[in-house]
Amino acid sequence: MTANSGVDRSRWQLFIKGGIAMLPLSIAVLPWGVLAGSFAIEAGFGPVAGQAMSAIVFAGAAQLVAMGMVQAGAGLSSIFLTTLIITARHLLYSVAMRDKISPLPLRWRVILGFLLTDELFAVCGKETQEQFKPWFAFGAGFSFYLSWNLATLLGIVMGSQIPGLEHWGLEFAIAATFIAIVIPSVTSLPVLACVCCALFLSVVLTAFQVEGSLMIASLVAMAVGYFLDVRVNKS
Amino acid sequence: MIVMMIAGMAALIFASRYLFLSPKLPIRLRASTQRFLTFASPAVLTAIWGPIVFMPEGQLALNMHNAYLWAALVAIVLAWVTRHVLLTTVVSFGCFLVLNHFL
Repeated sequence: MTANSGVDRSRWQLFIKGGIAMLPLSIAVLPWGVLAGSFAIEAGFGPVAGQAMSAIVFAGAAQLVAMGMVQAGAGLSSIFLTTLIITARHLLYSVAMRDKISPLPLRWRVILGFLLTDELFAVCGKETQEQFKPWFAFGAGFSFYLSWNLATLLGIVMGSQIPGLEHWGLEFAIAATFIAIVIPSVTSLPVLACVCCALFLSVVLTAFQVEGSLMIASLVAMAVGYFLDVRVNKS
Repeated sequence: MIVMMIAGMAALIFASRYLFLSPKLPIRLRASTQRFLTFASPAVLTAIWGPIVFMPEGQLALNMHNAYLWAALVAIVLAWVTRHVLLTTVVSFGCFLVLNHFL
């Protein structure tokens, strides 16, 4: 009984610690969530479908792009193809988390898989197998999920009352969040080269409207970082 | 249509997040692959924020009147100096709102 409550307490503590570690990102994502909610109204989704996007799909970038495509009259197949391209980076995250999460029971794998966002990867991606604690990751991922959905709800309510909310430039919040995650991780020449390459290529390819520009830019940048890393550590 | 779309997107996104977490998938990662993947997060996230900042209206906007560019510069400096996620996002977002109003 006492042993059990001790286990419960340490789980709960890990869960809370995870939530606290995620807190800066949970707050930073609020404007982006508001944008997702108000844009859903703007694109004619209605409040229920708008909330369902955040609750079930739970992928900020893909949600916004897909809603924009619906508004532009795109069909399901092209929406799914674009979703596939945007979400492909999650494959890389799940590969990177494989050693840590794949030995866990199905329940954990499904929960942590569902919650595996850019932000959760930013918090847990660098942990070693020994440092990784499922309850900590769950606390981080679930608190972020709550924050994202509350912000969406707020956006839905505001979007129904304040027209033109999507012109406020709320998408800058996306850029600010990702800059805040990426820049502190630039601690070596290979990472710097990788980031510069991703920046340059993504802008140029998007400017020329190359399809799949996000994936191409990312993969080339990763390759540049990797080969420099191999070189630097050889000499 | 919207129900189909939400179901389809949810399935695709969950599949991409879960696929390699499944122990049944018969692959083992070499050290070199893992090293390659450490660059995934900086590369992908930068490739998302780059176009938002440099082409907010869908076209390249390399000019003084692009509030996104100035505010991103603020964010980069703050992130570099303070390494604080919340401070960086809140201050740069505040700068953005002010600049966006005046530029």
